[in-house]
Amino acid sequence: MILRYSTTIAAIIVFSGVYLLYDTTLSSAVQWQLVTGKTPELFSEFVYLFATLPRLVMALMVGAVLGLVGSLLQQITRNPLLSPLTLGTSAGAWLALILISIAVPSLAPDLKALVVMIGSMLAMGLVLLIAGFRELAGLRVILAGMAVNILLGAITSAIIILRDQYAKNLFIWGAGDLAQNDWQWMIWLAPKLIIALVILVIAPRILQLLRLGQSGAQSLGLATTPVLIALFGAALWLMSATITAVGIISFIGLIAPNIARLLGANHARDQLYYSTVLGALLLLLADFVARIVSNLSVDIIPSGTATAIIGAPMLIYLAMRGSRAEDQMPLSQYGENQRKLTLKKWLGISCFALFLLVMALFLNNDGVSWRWNMPSDFEITTRIPRILIALAAGICMAVAGTVLQRLINNPLASPDLLGVSAGATAAIVISSLLTGQSLFVLNPLIALTGSAVMLAILVLLTRAKQFSGGTVLLLGISLTAMVEALVQFVLAKGSQDVYNLLSWLAGSTYHVQLSQSLYLLAASAVILTLSLISSRGLTLLNLNTEIAAARGLNVTLNTNAVLFLVALSCAFVTALLGPVAFIGLLAPHIARLLGAQKVKSQLLLAALLGAIVLILADWLGRNIIFPSQVAAGTLAAALGGGYFILLLLKAKLNRKTFI
Amino acid sequence: MLNPVLLLLTTLLLSSSLNAQIRITDVHGEHVFEQPPAKVVALNWAMAEQLIELEAPLLAVSDVRGYQEWVVKPKLPEGIHDLGARAEPNLEKMARLQPDLIIVSGITKAQVERLKNIAPVLNFNTFSNTHNNPQVAIDTFRQLALLFNKTVLAEQKLRDMQQRFVELRSALTSAYQGKLPKVATVRFANTASVYMYGDNSMSQYALKQLGINPALAITSSQWGLVQKRVLELSKIQTGSVLYFEPFNEYPQLQASRLWQAMPIVRNNKVAAVAATWTYGGAMSLKYLAEAMAQSLLILAAKNIELGLSEKNFIEAKQ
Repeated sequence: MILRYSTTIAAIIVFSGVYLLYDTTLSSAVQWQLVTGKTPELFSEFVYLFATLPRLVMALMVGAVLGLVGSLLQQITRNPLLSPLTLGTSAGAWLALILISIAVPSLAPDLKALVVMIGSMLAMGLVLLIAGFRELAGLRVILAGMAVNILLGAITSAIIILRDQYAKNLFIWGAGDLAQNDWQWMIWLAPKLIIALVILVIAPRILQLLRLGQSGAQSLGLATTPVLIALFGAALWLMSATITAVGIISFIGLIAPNIARLLGANHARDQLYYSTVLGALLLLLADFVARIVSNLSVDIIPSGTATAIIGAPMLIYLAMRGSRAEDQMPLSQYGENQRKLTLKKWLGISCFALFLLVMALFLNNDGVSWRWNMPSDFEITTRIPRILIALAAGICMAVAGTVLQRLINNPLASPDLLGVSAGATAAIVISSLLTGQSLFVLNPLIALTGSAVMLAILVLLTRAKQFSGGTVLLLGISLTAMVEALVQFVLAKGSQDVYNLLSWLAGSTYHVQLSQSLYLLAASAVILTLSLISSRGLTLLNLNTEIAAARGLNVTLNTNAVLFLVALSCAFVTALLGPVAFIGLLAPHIARLLGAQKVKSQLLLAALLGAIVLILADWLGRNIIFPSQVAAGTLAAALGGGYFILLLLKAKLNRKTFI
Repeated sequence: MLNPVLLLLTTLLLSSSLNAQIRITDVHGEHVFEQPPAKVVALNWAMAEQLIELEAPLLAVSDVRGYQEWVVKPKLPEGIHDLGARAEPNLEKMARLQPDLIIVSGITKAQVERLKNIAPVLNFNTFSNTHNNPQVAIDTFRQLALLFNKTVLAEQKLRDMQQRFVELRSALTSAYQGKLPKVATVRFANTASVYMYGDNSMSQYALKQLGINPALAITSSQWGLVQKRVLELSKIQTGSVLYFEPFNEYPQLQASRLWQAMPIVRNNKVAAVAATWTYGGAMSLKYLAEAMAQSLLILAAKNIELGLSEKNFIEAKQ
């Protein structure tokens, strides 16, 4: 243990030295004189004293805080996949920053920072409120975090698309940037982080007790609820402060605790301390890479982009190393639900879907009022493809979600988490970046390639080792975060066609042509059929891989086949429409809530519901802010996120687990 | 002064060509128009700007509010219909307005095909790394003038612009006593990073017309700008820096010691330029030149004042 700490700290010292000597003409002797009070004269001396040095200190400090908070949250929730950013902090900060920058562009930076911090705290407060303080260790807090993230993210992206000129300058903050011009931000941030020291002193004992579970800790005399509130509050405060100062830096808070565990940090104290040290080292290294690459290339590489590009492979490596039992995703089994799916319900939902189809075609806002109208020929040609693709994409994503949730027996699983959508998105964004071509030209084939590559990686990895849901999710999360960082990087480049990328990312049906919508419709029919055929395998896999094997099921083949189906759905939807989030998570949930217990009925009902949600979102999006439009994907995420939060709150009030 | 006879002749020549077909070339090839379109939709701010300058019959544009906030000059005429966000102009509303021409730029062929169901489409290439953006803006301005039978007006405006360049240049030359500074034009993203306009940017072209060379070599790109660290500005030893407003964090930047240590700041060579659209059409070059020249004149005056006060200071000391 001492060896572990001493080598890590030695590495920090060595790399800090290298970091300071990189890209400067100043010798270490001169640097030392400057630190000890020599008045800077040469410009390079100013650079050292007011750019490089504060940046280094910032990287170490922020990295340490991210590692600390990550470890703290993972230990409290006992969820190794939890990143501090998944609890809504970054989404809240983003939304607050965008809103305040558009509403009061001339607001003083200090006040702006305050607003951002409040936004971030409100978002995480909302997450905690939804989850309930008694449930902090469970899955609910993560579900709530996801829902809030998606909801706020959707609102933010809708606003950005409508006011893209204002948002342009903010993307660099969104990409996470450590560059400094003085000690201003340091002076702002450092006092706010003092609370971290308190955590380091008092948290280990509490965390060790919490390992017994909340009730166990309580019986040993720990008042868990107030203690948890205090710890979460402190974590929230630290995250909000760092996000405000340097923007969104992903991965450090997620991987530092994981590496710490992998290297043998077992005790609560050890994990907490070592994650803190590792966090500092990781961000130092990532930022060093960012500096080097920025120097070599034309564009700035933001620190956040570098952490994602370095962090994602590390996370994949961690996944490959295999996770020990305690590192498994807390699998929340599909609980039983007393409700039955009656014929009446089926009929009701089907009728609603039909009504919606008619409404989407005939009831529209013409700028004056909402009217039932016979659409003109031209209006038919613009509306039909949009309605059809919403229908088809809804089916595809819902089926993919149901299959995935059944396969890894986790109601949190969503095809977006598998990283296959992310693969398609990455392929399109990268090729657009390299060739300068329009996203709408590149679309179909490249997206398919991207998701196929992702699929191949997934299959290879799962074949190489025993299939585990946690591994796949870990991969998915890392890839998704990497793509997000990539997108932020592209957005931060500042070209004028950013809004095209934004509108594509929002999952808009606007650019879809009739032929494309028909392709997706055919694909959705095939995917639905195939999923129904594989439903027996799914039912068995859902129980247990051993039972499934005992019943004569080829587990590997079945798993791969079903995974392929999921990848195919994501690839098609992303290629033809853009990334559509949340339907895959939500539709299977509601289907179960309505009483669809069997795999087959859940598949069918989820498909119907997915189609309903996307058609509704598309119709509303086309009309509510006429003549502007909100993308179907964005609105579906907002609708879904809001509904999901309501569900969680309702379940909390009824003291029932709805999952 | 123009020869009135010559002017008359050209007008006659042009009006005689009115009856003939108008041939306009865009990225898809040549289009033939029997008469100037009377109801035009522009889905791009640069195109809208060109049409307003040409007094063409503009019916609707995308994102009216955004235009008013960011492009500002020339002012959008009253009663122009709003088609919504630039990425997704509302097709149904457009169809209801029954335009007889849609002018776009930088959209895909599939999108053009769809717009053709509403009205004929002209798709101009505006910003690209394969051509000279400012020159193309001027060429497009002339093409559009031809289409709307406004060639006389267009040539007049282009000549006025050249005339304005000459005036500004001489004003600057006298303010700077014949030694025009090299200038870099930038837009701050935040206190740590900055977008620098380089080759192929409208602002650099406008400066060139004023006889001013770039202070930093920035490679050519599609939009003519590159994102860099603010630190990069320290490479400018003798030149000046103009930054486009709005930049609300400027006080914070000013307060930072790295910024204060930069040669441009120490020598008082930084000035703000009033908000001006840097991705516009031909006439935006004039507005850019005017705004930048004004900033440079203020800078010159300030430096002379400083120089004088320094001189006074030294004299007083003696």
